[in-house]
Amino acid sequence: MKAVERGIISDYDLKSPGKRALYYLMMFVVLVMVCTMLYPMLVIFFNGVKLNTEVNSFPPTFLPSEWHFENYKKAWGYINLPQFARNTLYIFAGNMAMTVIVVGFAAFSLSRMDVPYKRVIQYFFLLTLFIPPTTYIIPNFVNLRDLGLMNTFWALWLPAGANAFFLLLLKTFFDGINMEMFESGRIDGASEPRLYFQIAFPLSIPIFATLAIFVFSSAWNDWYWPSLILSSDERYPLATAIYKYVINVRRLDLNLRFAILSMITFPPVIVFLIFQKYIVRGLHMGGVKG
Amino acid sequence: MNQTTAVPIRPLDAPPKRPPAKWKKHLWGYLFLLPAIGIFFTFLWLPIGKGIVFSFYHIDFVKGDTFVGWDNYAKVLKDPDVLVSVKNTLYYMFLGLVIGFWVPILFAIAISEMRKFQGFARIAAYLPYVVPVVVLYGLWRWLYDPVGPINAVLTRVGFDSVLFLTDKAWSMISIVIMETWQSFGSALLIYIAAILSIPRDWYEAAEIDGAGVWQRIRYITLPAIKNQIVLLLLLQLIATSQNFQTHYAVLDGGPNNATLTYALLVIRYAFTRQDYGSASALGVLMFIVLSVLAILQYRMSNRKEA
Repeated sequence: MKAVERGIISDYDLKSPGKRALYYLMMFVVLVMVCTMLYPMLVIFFNGVKLNTEVNSFPPTFLPSEWHFENYKKAWGYINLPQFARNTLYIFAGNMAMTVIVVGFAAFSLSRMDVPYKRVIQYFFLLTLFIPPTTYIIPNFVNLRDLGLMNTFWALWLPAGANAFFLLLLKTFFDGINMEMFESGRIDGASEPRLYFQIAFPLSIPIFATLAIFVFSSAWNDWYWPSLILSSDERYPLATAIYKYVINVRRLDLNLRFAILSMITFPPVIVFLIFQKYIVRGLHMGGVKG
Repeated sequence: MNQTTAVPIRPLDAPPKRPPAKWKKHLWGYLFLLPAIGIFFTFLWLPIGKGIVFSFYHIDFVKGDTFVGWDNYAKVLKDPDVLVSVKNTLYYMFLGLVIGFWVPILFAIAISEMRKFQGFARIAAYLPYVVPVVVLYGLWRWLYDPVGPINAVLTRVGFDSVLFLTDKAWSMISIVIMETWQSFGSALLIYIAAILSIPRDWYEAAEIDGAGVWQRIRYITLPAIKNQIVLLLLLQLIATSQNFQTHYAVLDGGPNNATLTYALLVIRYAFTRQDYGSASALGVLMFIVLSVLAILQYRMSNRKEA
């Protein structure tokens, strides 16, 4: 018998009308939620292929009455999207590398290596979580200026290694890996970096996939901070460029605006659908079971 | 292994090998920590320290900084906007709990119960989180428009149309609804993972003992995800107390400062008025207030346990 298949409600419950009604009510609520999630997504796309007069009409229409795909062509020429997208990908790649190497190394050391004064070092990292960002956002800006990192990607990459939240997540995950694997690795003569890259890292793919999603979504989403420390079109990530040139201008026609927005909505959705599998499969996966 | 290896045998009378020096034993551990320590210092602790220093200075990038003592603090404490922004921030945090906090818990339970399309529902809920927030700003400005789709539905049903963004009473609520819609998917994933890791036999046993569905949720599911609830509650309170980007992007603190949060005021001081010293002072003040609250809370929870 597959006992795993049941949830809170069992097959037996579904035979009683009251619980059955409850089950369907729950499904209905989820359905409503799914619709409210998907409707705005579709609106972004549909508004992008309408005539501008139709987007501005009242009451608004959902499906376009005529499909004007030439809007996309016009929108594509409005700003240099590939360049901004490339900047965003650079930022993501750099931030991810910092997460794997700087944060990952530190978490591995704290979790699986013998270091004196471990508690003190741990406090040094984790206490930063208790300091509100509002306190240091301005000094951070001035600090990056003093370091001469303004308008370089390093101003985003280097601070990406200072993420105590990721450190905590990774350390907790490494703690869950069976110590014996590292012991046997050490007996076989593996060096510590090798233990990290060949045992800890592959076993932690699920948590790194989760972190990759976090890192990607922040690289893709952050528009405010990059707009402060970057100052040229060669550096702006997509989000900042869209905010500056699409959201914050009044003259741009609404249909073109939505056409651009839908163009930058699809790529992350596709990336997400690829990574989704990893998260779900691996959230509670361990190296050695039992 | 197929190859045979000759194991070197140490003669019995040879002195035992000396253990490697202590620093050597810990060398790799420290090497692994070094980059992180450097980066945490340069990009977190240094700015934090500088913030305290800056709050006593008038910062001028051209002419250099001048020491002004407590002037910055005196200035911001006299500013009526500070009180307004504190009130707005508290109101915003409160709305975030009332409108937003329970949503992911409810849907996590419902979705984890689905027999079909579970993955689809999960993806749909998470989808807005994947869309760049700047897109959502553009989208929700249109949705909330006085002649937008939400008002079209409202007037069709017979309500008056609502000025979601320009009405002082509604602007903060509109922002919270928008943010809840956008971000509850991430909390949802955490709750679903926790709910799915609850052993199924617990429900089996509870059912045999005659527990109803509500009782199973109340006494098994919710206690089992209690840690996640507390954690996400804390994270939400922290995040909402610091938030300003949505308020800045959608309304720039308006109408009439109704969505001016504390963090947004800090930003305004720094980048609109070019007064980095006062902005740092505001940051330090927030840190002091939050620390005092945290210590009080810690004391009180300790007393309860004692």
